[in-house]
Amino acid sequence: MLLEMRKIAVNYGKINAVRDISIAVPQGKIVTIIGGNGAGKTTTLRAMSGMVPIARGEILFEGQRIDHLPAHKIVAHGIAHVPEGRRIFPDMTVEENLRTGAFLRRDTAGIETDLDGVYDRFPRLRERRSQRAQTMSGGEQQMLAIGRALMSKPRLLLMDEPSMGLAPVIVEEIARIIEEINAQGLSVVLVEQNAELALELADHAYVLETGNTAMEGPAHELRGNEHVRAAYLGL
Amino acid sequence: MMELLAQTGLNAVYAASYISLVAVGLVLIFGVMGVVNFAHGELFMAGAYAIVALYADMHLPFFIAVPIGMLFVGLLGLVMEWGLFRPLKDNPLGGLVASIGFLMILQSLAVMGFGVRMEHIPPVTQEVVRFTDKVGLPVARLYVIVAAVVLLGALWYFLKRTRFGWALRASAQDPEAAALQGISITQTARIAMFIGAALAGVAGALTAPLVSVNPHMGHSVIVTAFIVIIVGGVGSLEGAIVASVVYAFVHTFVTTFWDGVLADIVGLMLMLVVLIVKPTGLFGSADRA
Repeated sequence: MLLEMRKIAVNYGKINAVRDISIAVPQGKIVTIIGGNGAGKTTTLRAMSGMVPIARGEILFEGQRIDHLPAHKIVAHGIAHVPEGRRIFPDMTVEENLRTGAFLRRDTAGIETDLDGVYDRFPRLRERRSQRAQTMSGGEQQMLAIGRALMSKPRLLLMDEPSMGLAPVIVEEIARIIEEINAQGLSVVLVEQNAELALELADHAYVLETGNTAMEGPAHELRGNEHVRAAYLGL
Repeated sequence: MMELLAQTGLNAVYAASYISLVAVGLVLIFGVMGVVNFAHGELFMAGAYAIVALYADMHLPFFIAVPIGMLFVGLLGLVMEWGLFRPLKDNPLGGLVASIGFLMILQSLAVMGFGVRMEHIPPVTQEVVRFTDKVGLPVARLYVIVAAVVLLGALWYFLKRTRFGWALRASAQDPEAAALQGISITQTARIAMFIGAALAGVAGALTAPLVSVNPHMGHSVIVTAFIVIIVGGVGSLEGAIVASVVYAFVHTFVTTFWDGVLADIVGLMLMLVVLIVKPTGLFGSADRA
């Protein structure tokens, strides 16, 4: 397993946002976490990248415990997190945003190659490279957030609601990009409200309800599941 | 009349120089750490007393005393980051209150070490760059102007062109997203605090021979700096520099042609007008305010 989360719990003060969740991410796969509002999806993802401390359990990445590390150290291990709401740096240019994603890297030549790679993947970002990031549309900002994460050369990409607030055409484009990135060997954990999209993209899925794992299994199986269809796919 | 205008303009450029050094440091600290450093005026004062100790009392050459003073105040900034702002990082109001406490400690230390009397500092140079008979710029003031241009230029280069400069700006714009890029917020806070304090320190050190050095000299400086950063737009470094120039010109011209008390009033009026017309300040954006 690339990443393994074992029986973790996360508390915000007295609120148990995550009670008992175990998630396994195999190398090269897309794993999705779906569920309603307040089910603990975002919190689970934030625990993976060290944004929130866990109260119980353990998290292993490539066999090493990472659950005691602060967020900025976890990036160095090869996990990049595209946060909910994109969270690009609004007053920095597109290119500065991307280069900030490579903050920990020292291989100047490699950074230039990857920057070119991101620009090839997102031609719109190349056109707007010296534009301030906040002046771009939501879809472009999402692409920037993904590009910034790729610049750290991660082995695992965590994505929180990449489709949020975007027009259907753009959502299609983002979905294609996620598939493409994954096809090139990068493992992905995808948190989504849009369960239909998530189950279409993912190999394996977890359904969270009130901080617990309600269901898990291959994505195509969950798509056929009665409960999932009724509760999350609106069918 | 032309000569008086030109002379007053030169005086204003001098005032703009040290005000912007102080204000930019204050903005940098606020931007990266989210805390209002009330002790910033006392860091300016500490820089001036470094010159009293090193240059006036120990007779070190002025241009050796100034960098030592700058470094000393920068280290004071690191002490504040470590002792006050880091333990209180989830409590910006606590940080503000702690900085007021620190301000009083610095003032008391200055009183204990040097007394409450105004310090006499021998002039660094009596030379004046003469443009005409009546228009001239004392070289000691020229030093302040040159230092401000060089240091603010260096800061701009650092912020826009270097890896750690980006890290600083990223932390100021979104600390959580910055951490996700591998940036240590503790480290950027430390850098911001060191630079911000050192800029206030060097402003105090360079102006020490030109102003009356006393333990409470930081007060008027911090009031001016607050006006300037509000006019410029809280969180905007460019705004702080532009507002420093605007404020210095208005204040110096009103002082020269009318009087100093009126100049203070006009300065505050300037702030009110800007806040009414553009509540986020000249360069501020709504989401930062």
